[in-house]
Amino acid sequence: MKLDSKVPSGPLESKWEKHLNEINLLAPNNKRKHHVLVVGTGLAGASAAASLAELGYNVTSFCIQDSARRAHSIAAQGGINAAKNYPNDGDTIRRLFNDTIKGGDYRSREANVYRLAQVSNEIIDQAVAQGVPFAREYSGLLDNRSFGGAQVSRTFYARGQTGQQLLLGAYQAMMRMIHAGKIDYQPRKEMLDLVVVDGKARGIITRDLVSGKIERWSGDAVVLCTGGYGNVFYLSTNAKNSNVTAAWRCHKRGAAFANPCYVQIHPTCIPVSGDYQSKLTLMSESLRNDGRVWVPKKKGDERNPNDIPEEERYYYLEERYPSFGNLVPRDVASRNAKMVTDDGMGIGPTGRAVYLDFRDAIDRDGKEAIKAKYGNLFDMYENITGDNPYEQPMRIFPAVHYTMGGLWVDYNLMSNIPGLFVAGEANFSDHGANRLGASALMQGLADGYFVIPYTIGDYIAGNDLAAVSTDDEAFGEAADASAKQLDKLLNVKGDRSVIDFHRELGKIMWDKVGIARNREGLEQAIEEIRSLREEFWKNVRVPGEAGYYNKYLEFAHRVADYFELAELMALDALQRNESCGCHLRDEYQTEDGEAVRNDEEFSFVAAWEYKGLNGKLEAELHKEDLEFEFVELKQRSYK
Amino acid sequence: MGGSNMTIHLKIWRQEGPEAEGRFETYTLDQVNEHMSFLEMLDVLNEQLVTEGKLPVEFDYDCREGICGSCNMVINGKAHGPKRLTAVCQLHMRNYSDGDTIVIEPARAAAFPVIRDLVVDRSAFDRIIEAGGYVSVKTGSAPEANTLPVDQFNANKAFDYATCIGCGACVAACPNSSASLFTGAKIAHLNKLPQGQPERKNRVLAMVEQMEKEGFGDCSNFAECEAVCPVGISISAIAEMRRDYMKAMFDDN
Amino acid sequence: MPSLVEAATSQVGRKLLTGITGLLLLFFLFFHLAGNLTIFGGEHAMNIYSMTLHDLGWPLWIARIGLALVFIIHAWVGISIWWRRRKARPENYHVYSSKGEPSRQSLSSRSMAITGIILLIFLVFHINTFALGDTGTVLIDGREVSDLKTLVIETFQNPLYAFGYAIIMLLLAAHLGHGIWSSFVSLTMKSRKCSDLMYTIGATVAILLALGFLFIPLYIYFTGGCGAMIAGSQCV
Repeated sequence: MKLDSKVPSGPLESKWEKHLNEINLLAPNNKRKHHVLVVGTGLAGASAAASLAELGYNVTSFCIQDSARRAHSIAAQGGINAAKNYPNDGDTIRRLFNDTIKGGDYRSREANVYRLAQVSNEIIDQAVAQGVPFAREYSGLLDNRSFGGAQVSRTFYARGQTGQQLLLGAYQAMMRMIHAGKIDYQPRKEMLDLVVVDGKARGIITRDLVSGKIERWSGDAVVLCTGGYGNVFYLSTNAKNSNVTAAWRCHKRGAAFANPCYVQIHPTCIPVSGDYQSKLTLMSESLRNDGRVWVPKKKGDERNPNDIPEEERYYYLEERYPSFGNLVPRDVASRNAKMVTDDGMGIGPTGRAVYLDFRDAIDRDGKEAIKAKYGNLFDMYENITGDNPYEQPMRIFPAVHYTMGGLWVDYNLMSNIPGLFVAGEANFSDHGANRLGASALMQGLADGYFVIPYTIGDYIAGNDLAAVSTDDEAFGEAADASAKQLDKLLNVKGDRSVIDFHRELGKIMWDKVGIARNREGLEQAIEEIRSLREEFWKNVRVPGEAGYYNKYLEFAHRVADYFELAELMALDALQRNESCGCHLRDEYQTEDGEAVRNDEEFSFVAAWEYKGLNGKLEAELHKEDLEFEFVELKQRSYK
Repeated sequence: MGGSNMTIHLKIWRQEGPEAEGRFETYTLDQVNEHMSFLEMLDVLNEQLVTEGKLPVEFDYDCREGICGSCNMVINGKAHGPKRLTAVCQLHMRNYSDGDTIVIEPARAAAFPVIRDLVVDRSAFDRIIEAGGYVSVKTGSAPEANTLPVDQFNANKAFDYATCIGCGACVAACPNSSASLFTGAKIAHLNKLPQGQPERKNRVLAMVEQMEKEGFGDCSNFAECEAVCPVGISISAIAEMRRDYMKAMFDDN
Repeated sequence: MPSLVEAATSQVGRKLLTGITGLLLLFFLFFHLAGNLTIFGGEHAMNIYSMTLHDLGWPLWIARIGLALVFIIHAWVGISIWWRRRKARPENYHVYSSKGEPSRQSLSSRSMAITGIILLIFLVFHINTFALGDTGTVLIDGREVSDLKTLVIETFQNPLYAFGYAIIMLLLAAHLGHGIWSSFVSLTMKSRKCSDLMYTIGATVAILLALGFLFIPLYIYFTGGCGAMIAGSQCV
């Protein structure tokens, strides 16, 4: 497997422009002759589908939800970064690039990240023109806030629902092109396989989630925008239907899976309350702008938090990181929460929670000011927990939130399978080992609005793409394989439910491949995953049949894929003998618990090639070396 | 952990497909924790049904944090259940008491045919947006974001309408099965903003026409939609829609 | 661009029409009540009022036709809304209840179609009884005019009429209780404060109007048509 990043030469600032000047163009009348399959309708998918259709391509857009508007981008709360420098606080494209590279702990590709920072401003223009109701100042001009560790205010936001508003903008753009007849819209369809013909991605297999029918779709390129794989942990902030299946099936067809072990654990989520818990709810980290994180100094202190005097409170982030305080990046905040709770200072019935306290902010700014900023988040918290955060500090704990790893892509966002493009969270490209707050929305939309539309043209213009019929042998083989797998699952007829297996897998992952990892734990995890996977295929019980709406069947094949991915994640975490970003190996840290990177040996993208599954996952590691021409690698410090 | 357990009786509508005859089935759960969400309670029921070799109850859900709008069911006659400003995924069992009987039905409207059990087809909403619920701005053609100030009051108003999650509770709860709140909210969101002005007229005409075509009923100003809306969209959205419709009709320019 | 007819018959148009015609009918009711109350005026007040109206000639006919049109549109649109509602939800909920505030679902709003249809049927009888009723004549200033007042007094001696009318007027109150406010909402009243105020005003007006109408038959019935408030009445 050859990994060519295709990063253009020349100065960082002009790489993208140089690339645009050099890539192949497709005349408008030729665009009409080509067909692109876009899978997923989140920020990346909806923006890509709309933009490609506007250019003249015929697009088919698929999503598993009943409407494109429900893709999980909708749940992003905090905001979207851009280097507009409206607040005049010294932000530049270069600074946004620096922060993103540093935030990713120097494990991402410079050129991709710089491009992301470059197009960030256009995204804001685009969204505003679509009618996205960003927060504004009294002047009527756009408001910005500082977010998640940034020292400049570069985050645009729409109350606590920025993802929703941006997604609706992209969704509406897509609906407009459906109306124009340029997008064939296929909701409630789940991609089960990629069809590769003559080495190129030429189609997909889907299951109609209502009729159960297995369907074949051909095209000149496939754009995968299917999100991340955080649900491998069972409990995460991801939507229940978020899954890795489309990406994983592409991986099994030859696409390299990069950096699977990079998983972001979000520090501010509502803690688990019981075994029945089906998902974790994120409280936007913008809360850390005003909330103070603490635990009682005394272990097992069961007093009402309001009765615990100041000197008996341990504001651990403020004490350990005086310059960033409560605004340290997500990975640092999460790890510290784990450390204090591991030390027995955790609060609540499970001991797996810390306080996020607004008392001082309310004293300082007044209840109304806090309500204006966070009202909906406070309401949500009260709704879920039954506690009033205006009077009681919130209880929070980290939860799996975002996966930086994903299918490997080059500078064009094309995987190593020609014609298979991957955008948004589904690819590995821009966030390195840790994503900064308010950067996911930026990346999804950058990919969909401003990268894919150009690079797909380059691919189609530069390749001879003879029409492929869905009667082609490759389609038949893939369709049969998909149907067979569903049959196999239905026919195990064992004793344990899919959810039961998934929960157990999630626990292994959280305990051993979670916030902190070590060799011993990872090796155990691999063994446990293998044996649980074996049991899954012998003892899972999937109700009903394949010929109708059957949510449990959908879950079953997604969980089957998680069982394979889980092993790859553990393998990846095991090979990476360093701590970087969200990947913390207990063996590689300083005495006071700071991560230690190993740039000599691990400054590479780990791209895994699928080699088969035989009791154990056979995977071959390929390395794309990361070269840093424009930034100096530093040990991150938020002290 | 913690929290007290209760026994809950469920009477749930089961229907195999759009044409199939539906019926109620009753179930009893005796270990329902007060901290469970309503959907987690249904998960527990489904796990029990799967173990017993029965078919689980199908219902739509995704984000389980009240924003995606997937979940939609009518609980004891109320869309999204008893609590105001709460989608059913964020409704918690502490709102119920030991021994309660809960009746669950799908959203009932000709424009929302039942797919299975509590799952309904809400694609009519997509088609209403498709008719005109957008600003026609091509990628790349947008002007610099701050060239067009939007006064904060209107920006906030627009947001209040834009916050619609498209769950369809308004239709489910309306005695007439009207989609006026949904349609009005999108029209009001875009028409409140300067970006929405160029297409203001066509938008309202096209969307109202599509709403009618989909077979939704008329709005009789019951305002039940506002009461069940999990994000609290005001029926002033409907007034905005009517106002714009009249303006569009009598504006010859 | 839809034609005016298409627009008027669209969902928004239908509701606007209901609102406008509803308000026009409300004005008519005020006028009608004022006329009715002439029964408490001087001995001949009611008959003079009736005579004056009839003397108007063709303008009266225009008003009558206009009123009929307004009424027909109001009823037709109302019925069509009700009809569409049945089509829009072929299978009803087995359990249904309102979520309460800020919902305006009430006995009044939920029964608009029924109260409306009853009022429509009532109207036929009402016109038949009084407008087309067989009145005697009475001499006023040497002119022989129809004696509406006596017809009214005689009619309401009959308990069926008196109580029937009173009950119908309660239904009218129910219809207007939601209807007056709803008209303003249909005519795009937006503000929450206005809306709350209008709801109270609307319901109050509805009740006062109905009380005004039902007072007359009941008063006549209980006083046997010779109460002190009716000048020059002849007790039977």
